[in-house]
Amino acid sequence: MSSALISDYVDGLHRRLPAAIAAEAADGLIETYEHHLASGAGERAAAHAAVAEFGDLETVAGEFTRQAPGRRAARMLLATGPVVGACWAAALVLGRAWTWPVPAAARAGFGAVLLLAVLALAVAATSQRSYQRTRLTTAAGPVILVLDVTAVAAAALTAPALTAVLGTAAAASLARIAFTAWTLPRLAAR
Amino acid sequence: MRTEAQVLKGHLDTLLLASLADGPRHGYAVKEALRTSSGARFDLPTGTIYPALRRLEAAGLVRGTWSEAGGRRRRTYELTPAGHQRLSRDRAAWRDFAAAVSAILEPAL
Repeated sequence: MSSALISDYVDGLHRRLPAAIAAEAADGLIETYEHHLASGAGERAAAHAAVAEFGDLETVAGEFTRQAPGRRAARMLLATGPVVGACWAAALVLGRAWTWPVPAAARAGFGAVLLLAVLALAVAATSQRSYQRTRLTTAAGPVILVLDVTAVAAAALTAPALTAVLGTAAAASLARIAFTAWTLPRLAAR
Repeated sequence: MRTEAQVLKGHLDTLLLASLADGPRHGYAVKEALRTSSGARFDLPTGTIYPALRRLEAAGLVRGTWSEAGGRRRRTYELTPAGHQRLSRDRAAWRDFAAAVSAILEPAL
């Protein structure tokens, strides 16, 4: 490999993507380049043909970003979030949660942290070009996990009675805890 | 009406799995297999094959391994047992679907 066009492209991949992914894409580009060299093209022509065949950096890095596991996990959490939220809303309203012995500061803190986590997930879920942004899920995911555990624990400790609707909300949170705990270790490696 | 490229994208996973059915291949060979098997009709930008392969790898359907060849590291992709299973399921589903569509579009004369 000696073409400046190819090495610039490979540098661009490394700037835009995590090292392991950039290496994989670079291998593909170099393979394409070698294929054109082997079929008789000169270095310059082979490099141009390889880049044309491979797709431009924006397209390729964008495709890796759109298929990033962090982005998919964020979308999954955002898609299911309203269901879990609605279960809790119903349980809290029916259980008259404003009468439970939970400090106002704890309520406000919970809401603020939840809002921040949802915003971070929204950024990760909608990232079109920045792979870095899809990794926000690895930060927001554990927060969601802790919030779910907190919600279930707080309800268990302070709710005056265990109703069916409260049980449903807790089950929804437990299901999400299971999903998050299963997904996060897989994101950490990517 | 969806364009052929969009329809193709919907089936890309299955097509990639099928192109690995005969054994391990490099990414470029996967792309060439798609192109030649389809009579040059499915000519995807090579660079978009890799994100898809990576996603299939994350899903446990494909395994990628680095090996040293010709003085540089190259990545080879192969189906996992789960990938083989998924491919046969997809094949059966496609046969049923194609048969149903053909029955409607090309009724026996």
